[in-house]
Amino acid sequence: MNAVIALMIIGGVLGMMLGIAHKYLKVEVDQRIDVVTDKLPGVNCGGCGYPGCHGLAEALVEGEVQTPNKCVVASSIAKKEIADYLNTTPGPDGKCLQIKC
Amino acid sequence: MKLFGLFIALTFVNNVVLSKFYAICPLMGLSKNPKNALNMGIAVIFVIFLSSIITWLLYYYVLVPLKITYMDLITFILVIASLVQFLEMFLKKTSPDIYKSMGVYLPLITTNCAVLGVALDNITANYNLIEAAVAGIAVPLGFLIVIYIFATIRQRLEIADVPTSFKGAPIALITAGIMACAIMGIAGVV
Repeated sequence: MNAVIALMIIGGVLGMMLGIAHKYLKVEVDQRIDVVTDKLPGVNCGGCGYPGCHGLAEALVEGEVQTPNKCVVASSIAKKEIADYLNTTPGPDGKCLQIKC
Repeated sequence: MKLFGLFIALTFVNNVVLSKFYAICPLMGLSKNPKNALNMGIAVIFVIFLSSIITWLLYYYVLVPLKITYMDLITFILVIASLVQFLEMFLKKTSPDIYKSMGVYLPLITTNCAVLGVALDNITANYNLIEAAVAGIAVPLGFLIVIYIFATIRQRLEIADVPTSFKGAPIALITAGIMACAIMGIAGVV
């Protein structure tokens, strides 16, 4: 019982410190990366050549890759959705991407 | 003087990589260029120094009074994981370039056995807090020195004429073995 309580307290304190640190060390990332990651299948197979779906989403948003067809798992509907989303949603610089599908 | 002896012993004589064979994964993974190796070494110094102090305090002021010393492993891992998480956030904010160049090896410091090894060795060797702090600097410093030397050697190996079957990781492992032989020469000095 002691062990459970002690570990919970230690974990809680460490978690709280990390939470505070996160507040001060937050990095603004492009919102679109998260949305695209959600639309990708999320199997992290690496078939696209990037480390996981998040990697491909980053490459797409940053313009490194011009087509979601790199993903070998996603359905054509999901790919179309990603392309439509990126073509219509402006980034922080106010410009939309030109994604082919 | 005793502390100085401990420092030399942990940095060179009982070098964490070459005589205990901890932390071989980052040694192989991040030694392709000396700059990355140096960054990795500094990150490891930060994590090991803080974790060795925090785990020592937790062990003697929380785990021992509560008689739950069998929980040391999981507590130490918790501390190390939090420290690495913090380091990751810090680097992402202050120097995204280093963050990118280190890639997956940055969160992998969590599973770097040198970090946990130091924390556990501090307990089994019955160090006091000062000695634990010295160990927390000496051990990762030894790691930094070895990974930096190793990275510079690997740069030479890139242009060396190595038999095809030995290219890449195999020759790197052989090199590490020869370096370990060299360190054996000063075994038992301190």
